[in-house]
Parts: sequence; structure tokens; C-alpha cells
Amino acid sequence: MLNLNNIEVAYDNVQVLFDVSFDVKAGEIMCLLGRNGAGKTTALKSIMGLLPLKSGSIQCEDNTLSTLSAYEIPKQGIAYVPQGRGLFSELTVAQNIEIGLMVKGSNPAVREHVLDMFPRLRERLKQRAETLSGGEQQMLAMARALSMEPKLLLLDEPTEGLQPSIIALIKDVIVKLKNEGVAVLLVEHHIDTVLSIADRVAFIENGRCPEISDIANLQNNQAKIRGYLGIS
Amino acid sequence: MEFGPHLFLATLEGAIGAAVLALMAVGLSIVFGIMRVVNVAHGEFYMLGAVIAWWITSLIGGHPAYGFLAALIVAPLIVGLIAALADHLVLRRINYDPERTIVATIGLLYVLQQLTLMTFGADARPVEAPFNKRLALPWFENGADGLAMYWPWGLSTTTYKLAVIVAAIVVLVALWLLMTKTRAGLIMRATQLNRDMALAHGIPVEKVYALVFGLGAAIAALAAVLVVPIQQAHYLMGGDPLLLSFIVVIIGGLGSIPGTIVAAILIGMSDGIISVFFSPTLAKILATLLVAFVLIFRPQGLFGKRIS
Repeated sequence: MLNLNNIEVAYDNVQVLFDVSFDVKAGEIMCLLGRNGAGKTTALKSIMGLLPLKSGSIQCEDNTLSTLSAYEIPKQGIAYVPQGRGLFSELTVAQNIEIGLMVKGSNPAVREHVLDMFPRLRERLKQRAETLSGGEQQMLAMARALSMEPKLLLLDEPTEGLQPSIIALIKDVIVKLKNEGVAVLLVEHHIDTVLSIADRVAFIENGRCPEISDIANLQNNQAKIRGYLGIS
Repeated sequence: MEFGPHLFLATLEGAIGAAVLALMAVGLSIVFGIMRVVNVAHGEFYMLGAVIAWWITSLIGGHPAYGFLAALIVAPLIVGLIAALADHLVLRRINYDPERTIVATIGLLYVLQQLTLMTFGADARPVEAPFNKRLALPWFENGADGLAMYWPWGLSTTTYKLAVIVAAIVVLVALWLLMTKTRAGLIMRATQLNRDMALAHGIPVEKVYALVFGLGAAIAALAAVLVVPIQQAHYLMGGDPLLLSFIVVIIGGLGSIPGTIVAAILIGMSDGIISVFFSPTLAKILATLLVAFVLIFRPQGLFGKRIS
């Protein structure tokens, strides 16, 4: 589904990613794991075309994403939920979802399907996004991404700062998407979440990807995860 | 003329200025609000609208209404296309960087101004109004016999001046509907709120920017076509409206359309009234002082949001 081939990314003269390669398969949850500032968010932004590659390439199925303009990438079936949610704060819930729906031509059935996944948003359709609670904002960010009917979903810390019941809901939705064949690339710091839903983990350290591991190999080796996260 | 009718006349003149200023400033405000570009060349798009209106009306013979109607449609279109081309050739290449776009639009200002001088010359060019019937206005006063109506000498306006106010209101309402009720407006507002997430939702941000820059310039040109039968077209006519537009958008709050309209009414009306009773120079001094106070006590403007 998605292949990052030896990508290098820099902010002006400061290089952040060095020769990073990994892949994500259809129906798989791949987790990017590493300390703050390791380059996980940069990798996601590069996939979305929001940061140019210095070298390397990014493929999604038969398309080379790194040769496309950023606005053409969502049309390849890739949706992105950034850290901090990236909502259009002054637009209503309905308008935020409409922006997502526009990518594939505003199908009302998709809108209904997405609202069925997050029923609380149905009660808030006319409310401005900035007035929602943190959990509702995360639901809206997910709903907006899912209204694009993605084949690949990029999630940057979707459970950050949320109460356990909302985290459980988000995890359920992610697993449901995986079961529907959607590929998920997840940046996550909660070890429990990683161990419970991820299929593989790509460790990112100082802008490099030194190791990719099946989750089965990590279930009894949490020390490795803690080491990469910098938790003693 | 007594004070009451005189004040009414001054208010009416102020309302015409406010209407044109609101159009001009709203164009500047949407460009800043959505693109974060301070368009110093905005006054030249206004000037181009007026000069092109003169050119079109002088080409088309017959009743003045034919030429004026053609100018009303064609001048904003031409100016909008020129602005979109400037966006493509200049602003996009410097990646809409806030500082560099100021310098670039200053350059654009001089290019447009000098090209107009070289092409159309330095003469002021009149455009005939499509209709211009003089209307005497009544005044009411409480006398010994109760409320009485009379027609003070000199208290009059023209049908065209009233039409300018109505046209400006129609355009502003249409713009509001475009921004709040249409898909294009939704896309523009999404781009304004979060450029990266707009891109991540398939919105071609650079095309939106070209459209917005063209739209802002076209609105300025439309304002100029409306005003050119009252003032003459001249290659240096963009300076004063640009200054007043900046005053208006700073007072209203950069990027806020409602704030811009309220500030345009405030500045336009006070400019008209103070100019009639005192002098135009005093009106400009007071408007500039008001900007200074706003910048000191409420830097985000009356309707703008404080950036945290």
C-alpha cells in the first residue's frame, strides 16, 4: 500500500529524517514509535506532501506521491489526522465534515456512515469546532478524515490528552477500519494502545528508522519500547 | 442652508464615500484574511478599474448607459485577471511570504501605475453617468403648526449617487452570501483557517489564492467603476483610497469582513461630514489619529481576534 524508500527531509538547512524506509500494508496498523522530536510527525507530513523530500521517494500503490502536489495526495485515498487535530476551528461540525466529503464528491451516505460511527457529533452539527470538548474535537478530526473514504489513514497521536472512554472509542474505530482493509499509520506514545492494536512497529530514533518489529516480538519485550520512547 | 439640512447633505455625501470605501476595503481585507498578503498595489487595481471604465465607455457610443454597463462587467473582469496573473507570476514564486509580498506589491504598484501613464496618459478622464437626475430632498421641522415639510435650497442629490449606495450594498450582500452560503466560500474560509489542512483535504490552495487575489482586485475595480462618474479617472487616483482602505481594515480588524464594513461606514461618513463642515485634511488627520488609538488600545482592531 505505502512505501517510503530512503527518504531524507530537512527544514531549511536542518535535516530531520535520514534514509528512512518502511512500508504499510493494506489492512495493517503500523505504529511509528519514538521520542518527541525523533521525526515521526515529519514523516507523516512528508507523506502528505506538506514537506518536500530532499531525496528518496514515497509510493502509494502505483503512484509516486513525492511527485504530486500536496492537494493531489488526498485524492489518492490518503487521509491525515494531525497532532492537535487541525480542525477548521471557526467552521461548524457539519462544515468540517463537508470539507472531508468534498474529496470524493460529497456522498450523503458516507456522511451518514461517519456520523453513525460518532453519534455525539450528530447532536453538534451546527456547533463551531472550536467550542467542542477535546474528545469531541478528536472525534470530529477522525470523522472528517473518514469522510474522505481513505485507503490509508495517517493518525498523529489521536489519543493524546483524552479520557479513557474516548480512547477506547478511537481504538475501536481504528481496529474496525483495519478490519475493513484500511491501512493505518499511527504515531502513538501510549504503550498499551500500541500493544493492543498495532500489527508492526517502526522505531524512529534521531531521524532514522533503525528497526521494524512485529508486535508479537514486542509483547514480552516492553523494555525495548520504553527504551525507544526514553522512558526509564 | 441651516445646520440640520446641511448635516443631512454632508451625511449623504459621507454615505457615498463610505459605500465605495467599504467595497474597496473589503477587497483588501479578504486578500489579507485568506492569503495573509498585505496588498500595497490594491489602490492601483482600483485605478485600473476606473481607467478601463473610461476606455470602454469611450469605445462604445450611444447612450452612456451602454458603455457604463459594459464597463461594470468588463473592467472588474480584466482587473481580476490581471491580479490573478500577478499572483501567478509574482506572489506564488515568493511562496506568499508576508514580508516579501509587501515589497513585491510595492513593485507591482509602480509597474501598473507607470504602464497606465504610458498607455493612457496623464490626463484626468471623465465618464458620463448612465443616469443623473437631480433630486431635491425634503426637510422636516417642528414649527408652531407642528411638523412641517419644506424644500431647503441646495438640499439635493442625484439618482446616480443613491444608486452607488444601493449597488455597494448589493455587492457586499452578494459577497457575504458567497463566503457563508456557497461551497466556494467554504473552501476559501477553510484555506484561511488552516492552509496545510486545506491542502490535506484536496483543496488546491494556490488556485484558491489566485481566485481570492483576483476577486479582491475585481471588487476594487468595481468600486472604481461606480465612482468614476463622480470622480475622474487618473493614473494617480489609487493613493488616497489605498490609505483609507488600510485605515479601515486596521480599525475593523485585519481580515474581518464585518469589521471592515463597520469601519468603512465610520470612516467614510466621518470623512464626508468633517470634510463638508471643516476640511478634508482634518478628516484625514482624525482618521489617522483613530488608527493610532486603535493600534495602541486594541491592536487586533474592533472586530479582529487577538493572535495568541
